[in-house]
Amino acid sequence: MRGRRLSRVCGDMLYIALTFAIIGLFLFPVFWLIVSSLKPLGLLFSTRITLFGFEPIFEYYRQIFEVGFLRFVFNSVLVSIVATALCMLLAFPAAYAFSRFRFLGKNLFFGFFGLTQIFPWIILVTPIFIIFFFLGLSNSYSGLILIYIAVAIPFTTYMLFGYLEAVPKEIDDAAVIDGCSTLRTLFYVIVPIAVPGLVASATHAFIVAWNEFLFALTLITTTEKKTAPVALATFFGEYGANWGEVLAAATVTTIPTLIFFLLLQRHLLKGLTAGSVKQ
Amino acid sequence: MPVDHREGVVHADQLHRANPPSMRQARDPFRLLILSVLLLLFVYLLPPLYNLLLSLQDLDLFEMTAVGGGKFIGLRNYVELIKDPVLYKVFLNTWIWLTAVTVVLRIILGFALAVLVDADALRRWHLTGLARTLLFLPWAVPPVVAVTIWKWMLNSQYGVVNLLLLDAGLVESGINFLVNPNPYITWWSIILPIVWKETPFAAIVYLAGLQSIPQELYEIAQIDGAGRLAIFRYITIPLMRPITLILTFMLTIWTFNNFVYVWLTTRGGPADLTHVMGTMVFYQSFVEYRLGYGATFGVFMVALMAIFAVIYLKFIFKRA
Repeated sequence: MRGRRLSRVCGDMLYIALTFAIIGLFLFPVFWLIVSSLKPLGLLFSTRITLFGFEPIFEYYRQIFEVGFLRFVFNSVLVSIVATALCMLLAFPAAYAFSRFRFLGKNLFFGFFGLTQIFPWIILVTPIFIIFFFLGLSNSYSGLILIYIAVAIPFTTYMLFGYLEAVPKEIDDAAVIDGCSTLRTLFYVIVPIAVPGLVASATHAFIVAWNEFLFALTLITTTEKKTAPVALATFFGEYGANWGEVLAAATVTTIPTLIFFLLLQRHLLKGLTAGSVKQ
Repeated sequence: MPVDHREGVVHADQLHRANPPSMRQARDPFRLLILSVLLLLFVYLLPPLYNLLLSLQDLDLFEMTAVGGGKFIGLRNYVELIKDPVLYKVFLNTWIWLTAVTVVLRIILGFALAVLVDADALRRWHLTGLARTLLFLPWAVPPVVAVTIWKWMLNSQYGVVNLLLLDAGLVESGINFLVNPNPYITWWSIILPIVWKETPFAAIVYLAGLQSIPQELYEIAQIDGAGRLAIFRYITIPLMRPITLILTFMLTIWTFNNFVYVWLTTRGGPADLTHVMGTMVFYQSFVEYRLGYGATFGVFMVALMAIFAVIYLKFIFKRA
């Protein structure tokens, strides 16, 4: 009995080691990015592979902050946070309407929300660029925020819809019987229950906005309003890149999403996969 | 307004009967939806319509003076599009290299990784959560960063991939992956970041699917004498079919429309060997400054997507 148990423990350990070795290999690019950004020039441009055991330097980080990379990070933070907040404010009532009401055109609206998810964003860029130009919205934070809200709303609504479907409808009924209006029910009764769902979808919306490249590239034309991803792309010159700075900038651009992701991934994973497995 | 509680109950109860809460005031859902719907119409309906108009015009980026300021030229953009020798190549690039290859790789790798993590050995030691989090991590990395990392790893002189190939004696000098006259090699510098960054999503969806299979199903099969391989072949794989179907479909659409990976890696080059539909729209509009012709490429993309939209909507309503 004991022998079998021991062999199972050994088997488990072997399997776990193998699994984490494969996952480690899969995550190697992230590790390599950070390690490379800390290497002195001699090691960075070397034909020998060095993984550990060198004195890390922060020279490239100092250089990118000197040319004002923090400004781009600030722009990204501003745009992503405002867009996320407004997106939640719009998407939550929408999800609630889909979950709790029957109304004329419900399927039409629900389908329209879904269609936006498969819409080729690239074809929106040219017309939006021109429309924004004439509305005076080009090259402004508010224009970009407006787009990011619209980009995030449909999926956020679907995710929240999934959560709300799991909240018993008797709860709202009780609130209504006690004389709450729809909006009061929504904000005082449902929001507190749906916090995990809100957290998950807000994380998702934030990461979508933070990572977005196409609209940030076309709608923002002055340097000081550029977001971090676009600024990072401009670090590649015409004929090559200053790799130390590029890698440092890439690391800085990744940190905020990684922090959000690691803090909130539990909620996020549940929300992202809930819809796909339910059959 | 303070209401006598008991009276309120009676009153609300009567209301309740006449008008069940699930069908409350008819105006409510519209008030809740109106802002979202207006914004979505402004961003997803108005621009495509304007795009259609643009495709009939000749408009230079630096000559935008009034709304619809372009010259109407009828269907001349469409004639040019059909005759454009690049179109055929771009179309094949988009379907085969950008979409088919990366979607197949993501489905296979994603499923394999999910099976790897969904194991009793990890569950017994409470490591499933950690493994899942680590596996999902590249999903949160911005695409720009994914491309940056791979550009660095594939660097012809100092890239770790070339250094490993050299050490193994597989090549004599570093391969220039990014600018290579052989498009098959250049394409891999685009495919690798896509597969690396986007596989976690497929893996996580599969993992959730695997975890939703009732444990009893496996136990019954075991009692009936089925081996591990048989269980995998006759229970796991068939049960994952619907997920594979939806996932393949969604990944195909998202990838077909993608612009960012190709643009950031090669800008469609060298020459125009790696251009795809997405980069062509951008290239015509914002590099050649031909907004009208760029819009025509866009209309072509929408027409292709319309076919997919019909299938997609069926999915949504089946689920809702």
